[in-house]
Amino acid sequence: MKFRTKEDYIVDTVNYILLGIVAIVTIYPFWYVFVLSFNDGYDALVKGIYFWPRKFVLDNYIAFFTDGRWLSAFGVSVVRTVIGGVCTTLFTCMVAYAHSRPNLMFRRFYSLLLIFCMYFSGGLIPFYVTLRSYNLLNKFWVYIIPGLLSYFFVIVARSFFSELPPELMEAAKIDGASDLGIFFRVVLPVSTPLLATMLLFQAVNHWNSWVDSAYYVRDESLRTLSYRMMEVINKSNISDAMAQSSSAMAQMAEANRTTSFSLQCASLVVCIIPILCVYPFLQKHFVQGMMIGAVKG
Amino acid sequence: MEMTMQAKKQKSARRMRLFKNQIWLQLFAIIGVVFMLLFSIVPMFGIIMAFKNYSINQGIAGIFTSDWVGLKHFKEFFGEQRFPELLRNTLALSTLKLIFSFPMPILLAIMLHEARNMRYKKFVQTVSYFPHFISWIVCYGVVYALASEKVGVLQDMLMKIGLISEPVPFLTSPNWFYGVSVVLSIWKSSGWWAIIFLASISGIDPELYEAAVVDGAGRLKRIRHITLPGIKGSIVTMLIISIGSFLGGGLVGSNFEQSYLFGNALNNSTAELIQTYSFKVGLVHGRFAYATAISLVESCVSLFLILTSNFVAKKTAGSGLF
Repeated sequence: MKFRTKEDYIVDTVNYILLGIVAIVTIYPFWYVFVLSFNDGYDALVKGIYFWPRKFVLDNYIAFFTDGRWLSAFGVSVVRTVIGGVCTTLFTCMVAYAHSRPNLMFRRFYSLLLIFCMYFSGGLIPFYVTLRSYNLLNKFWVYIIPGLLSYFFVIVARSFFSELPPELMEAAKIDGASDLGIFFRVVLPVSTPLLATMLLFQAVNHWNSWVDSAYYVRDESLRTLSYRMMEVINKSNISDAMAQSSSAMAQMAEANRTTSFSLQCASLVVCIIPILCVYPFLQKHFVQGMMIGAVKG
Repeated sequence: MEMTMQAKKQKSARRMRLFKNQIWLQLFAIIGVVFMLLFSIVPMFGIIMAFKNYSINQGIAGIFTSDWVGLKHFKEFFGEQRFPELLRNTLALSTLKLIFSFPMPILLAIMLHEARNMRYKKFVQTVSYFPHFISWIVCYGVVYALASEKVGVLQDMLMKIGLISEPVPFLTSPNWFYGVSVVLSIWKSSGWWAIIFLASISGIDPELYEAAVVDGAGRLKRIRHITLPGIKGSIVTMLIISIGSFLGGGLVGSNFEQSYLFGNALNNSTAELIQTYSFKVGLVHGRFAYATAISLVESCVSLFLILTSNFVAKKTAGSGLF
């Protein structure tokens, strides 16, 4: 039906090739790490592996899940992801629900304070001093408590709750329910799409975060997976460059066929897989969430 | 007189009743206020440290009780030997990102929009924003596997096709830090920010394109004369936002994380930024007041930039953010 010019063909071809390159450049790095994590560690030091493991082994993962330090870091990350995700979602929704009620007294004050806190912060060092004086440093709860209220999601949830039909709450009120009961038994059950989105985002944030583990915690048993990984990679990067790597590698050599590098690859994959699993669900919701963020600045 | 007194009493009684009626809602809101006071407002008072002779042993009360030293910390920072280098690195990295990383999401959005095959388009888009959800640490690990001198597969590939004859110290040379950081910020965030521009493009009236076809405008001309003017508003908005966070790296952000992770003893002369320096001085060397002063300088520059860019946008494009 439509007439296609020569320009159309050229533009389309170039465009498809460029987009293909974008996709490959994005996927390949992850695929390469995935491949290495299943390859024999010493064999991987010899170049020439590109798309598929040359000597397929599970040793790297076995080493990862039997090493106490990695395992404990993995455990800390899982626990903080679950607890942090659930607590932040509930707490944020609670505050947002109050903010969303049109007849709330002092509503203007509450929302002005929220916006002020969203845009201004004291910076890292004063925050550190504050946490220190609250006695939160070096405790597991430092991962959870300071992040309990997500200012951005208060705004997202507030606009979601204010669009719920008011009859819903009124009916429950006539039946004698308190606002607490209404929130838990009426509002939360009808807000599952919002809860799912918030939970996913918070969980991904918690899973990825390393800054708090680096700054606020010194106890080795409280380190998160991301932090442990940073430590290991930093070490090997420096030692490589300083050409001490051969002796370092020799020290690492153990009975099983893993090197610190192949173990690293396995840990990277352990970090990526959970995100890959929730990615389809994230993707379903985040475009909308992001547009709200864009509109509100 | 009595009437108004009575009316006042009645009004306050009504308000009390209303407050009691919504006691749970008020409780929810007040818990939120307490949280904000504890974790946002209290730390803001910590900024006073920048003008004081504070030591961490004095606790949080020491912020108020310690001695004033005026601008001592600021003078020390500006007079420091490394100051020119830190300033150069911070400005250079931010400027490079604004020039090279900012246009990429726009370009990607236009390319995705021009793709006719819906499944292909969807596939590329879905893939392209995946790195946004991966932490910088994991990125660092992946990049290490790809580009490090010893194990990097990229080195191997580049040598095979003859572009380089020996491994390039991408991660350990001061010459490469800016380039690697800019490329990675593009890789990690372009897909994500393209979402906004793509949404903006899909808001353009399709009739405009049809009319242009009738007038004989080719694909490139349509991009230039319809798509780009159509998303000018979004581009300006995003530009203001990214200039506001200029020192943090703009839209693609993460100057701090990149410098912290990719910086090491070997590339320190270009990798150290004001932000990371403030962090090291503060938490590693324990000079809290001095570090706060450094980051206050940075915040002031940021605030100045966002106000200026907003002002310029209002004057030239007719609309700003606020």
